[in-house]
Amino acid sequence: MKTKVVLNFSPEASNQPITHNLISKYHLMLNILRAEIDEVGGKMVIELSGKADEIRKGLDYLKASGVSVRPIKEGVRRDEEACTHCGMCVSICPTKALTIDAKTGKVSFNEERCVACGVCIDACPPRAMEILI
Amino acid sequence: MTADEFKEYVRSNGTKKAAKDVDVVTTGTFGAMCSSGAYFNFGHSDPPIKMQKVWLDGIQAYTGLAAVDAYLGATELDESNNLFHGGAHVIEDLVRGKAVRLRATSYGTDCYPRKEMDTYVSLRTLNQAVLFNMRNAYQNYACATNSSQKTLYTYMGKLLPDFGNATFSSAGEVSPLMNDPYYRTIGVGTRIFLGGGEGFVAWEGTQFNPRVPRTAEGVPKRPAGSLAVIGDLKQMSPDFLKGLTFTKYGVSLGVGIGVPIPILDEEMAKACSVTNDKIVTAVFDYAQQTRARTPLREVSYAELRSGEITVNGKPVPTSSLSSLYKARQISEILKNRILKREFSIEKPIQTFSMDRVFKPLEVRSEKEAMG
Repeated sequence: MKTKVVLNFSPEASNQPITHNLISKYHLMLNILRAEIDEVGGKMVIELSGKADEIRKGLDYLKASGVSVRPIKEGVRRDEEACTHCGMCVSICPTKALTIDAKTGKVSFNEERCVACGVCIDACPPRAMEILI
Repeated sequence: MTADEFKEYVRSNGTKKAAKDVDVVTTGTFGAMCSSGAYFNFGHSDPPIKMQKVWLDGIQAYTGLAAVDAYLGATELDESNNLFHGGAHVIEDLVRGKAVRLRATSYGTDCYPRKEMDTYVSLRTLNQAVLFNMRNAYQNYACATNSSQKTLYTYMGKLLPDFGNATFSSAGEVSPLMNDPYYRTIGVGTRIFLGGGEGFVAWEGTQFNPRVPRTAEGVPKRPAGSLAVIGDLKQMSPDFLKGLTFTKYGVSLGVGIGVPIPILDEEMAKACSVTNDKIVTAVFDYAQQTRARTPLREVSYAELRSGEITVNGKPVPTSSLSSLYKARQISEILKNRILKREFSIEKPIQTFSMDRVFKPLEVRSEKEAMG
């Protein structure tokens, strides 16, 4: 099983070997898609793969360690009303989460593929893409 | 018929039958059109003011005109160069029915004693609110890419390093002037769909440049013709007039335009049957900071629309800056308005000159300028 989550660390939590524990204690495979740290804490977008119950336990461990965990779906949002379906975002999206249907000309946003990298945010002329992490 | 439907009809029936059966083809485009703006008449205050400087929601409008007239340019920014809110966004807000803050200052005259004005206006309160765009609906446009090692932020959007992507900006086969390459039916006085309402072609667009190389079918291979258009802002819709932000570049107005093309004869039917594989443009490296960029290659709109082109042997993903979805919506709406007889088709009062040339700007002396 695989799942993508957005983690927000408090400065205290940033000092713990959290990713190490996820790997060694819960036998999870970890793919770090995005990581940032500043004076108010850290943010990380990770993909976890492993057994369902171990993923659950791993996420519980994160929460217990003071890390807020949110599903990635809450990470990037498209304002459907603002989108003009021009397609500017399509060629810059590294994971092909944004694609244009050749027949209808409509741009679709596949949240499952999105890794919340944010490259689409400042590329969107009508500012329809928003990153919340 | 819409341009899409017409091309399909020609594929099955040929141009001869299509010319006989079809009266009008509706075309459309929706894209960033910088040379756009709107002029207003605010009405007179009491005591009256001869507005010398005017701001609408903090964006300065040009008021070197009569007392209470002003023109707000789409790309105008406030003093802080806020790219999220420029002239285009104020125009969109007005069209959304919002009230915008009008501030004006003046020096005061015997007939216009007031020196300051601070109030709100909306499309409801304005006497005239007219969209008047000097260059829209470009007939073809370049494709942009980036050979450098850093991301470029341009009017052609975000260009990723090392040929990371390529962007283009024409609606291709459904775009108005692609279907009437020699301006036989589109000229001064042509009634058009503009920003959701009705408008007219007022003049040739600025930088009108019909004498570029053309394909065997007559379609320009480079930016060529363009249209100056005018229409009542009060009729328009935020679905087809949209403030746009190009990061680290500026603000532009997304404008929706639809033009009906009467199928006068078989030649016109042939012109309107043009498809993306028969329309080409040049790919330019925007890392070259000169007006005389050398084209890297020519590509067809079919290739651009496929999502990937090859540049220097490398696959490069492509993005459109103009919305095909909205272009099609416009051609559909226009078709329905014509069918319901809500929209009548005008013959141009005057056609465009094919002799116009597009000259560069040089640093020159007064004598050289006079030639």
